[in-house]
Amino acid sequence: MPKILIPTPLRQFAGNNDTVDVAGVATVGEALGALVTQHPDLRKNLYNDEGKLRSFVNIYVNDEDIRYLSKEKTEVKDSDTISIVPSIAGGGR
Amino acid sequence: MLKIEAQPWAVMVEHGRACFPRECCGILVGSAGDAGDNVVTLAIACTNAYEGDQKDRFELDPRDVIKAERAAREQRQGVVGFFHSHPNEDAYFSATDLKFSAPGYSNVVMSIRDGEFSHAKCFIANFDQTAAEPEELHYA
Repeated sequence: MPKILIPTPLRQFAGNNDTVDVAGVATVGEALGALVTQHPDLRKNLYNDEGKLRSFVNIYVNDEDIRYLSKEKTEVKDSDTISIVPSIAGGGR
Repeated sequence: MLKIEAQPWAVMVEHGRACFPRECCGILVGSAGDAGDNVVTLAIACTNAYEGDQKDRFELDPRDVIKAERAAREQRQGVVGFFHSHPNEDAYFSATDLKFSAPGYSNVVMSIRDGEFSHAKCFIANFDQTAAEPEELHYA
């Protein structure tokens, strides 16, 4: 089954797991849905009030950014690894 | 509290100096210390991916973050934060830094003045990225 890698600051909301396996899912959206069903405290950390991924959340399937695939409709296989990757930028200005 | 060991601290300062007068950026890998605080054991100097004038802007390539996360997991550690420099500016957490941060991570800002390290501070953005709290910073 696909596995989701949980970044360090979010592990406290995922039962202190660094990886969560999700069964019976065909897309990234379904995988993330299964994740927040298993660990409801993660929902507000990943999604905004409109139910969309928060601005700093990038999702990768293996090495591919889902924004350049089919977004949350991107298909996933049992062997796939889904990464939750923070988007980081800034500057003194 | 964030404690940075001597070797990663040297990597960070050198990256800040080498990139001057542009902003540098990088990734902090570490683990929880005895008191539950994070100890940084590895600093990864990254290429500033911002497409524009980098004297006051930076952007991390998410692919660098993925690579760091994989390397960290092999050592049973994790990505605990990020660092960047402010050339010829103080080490504050700007509105831009806050807007493009991610809650829960430590953010070390280094002031590099005239190409030399001046001082550094650390900040953590709150849940909804409306404010950042200072985090105690110790470095070798």
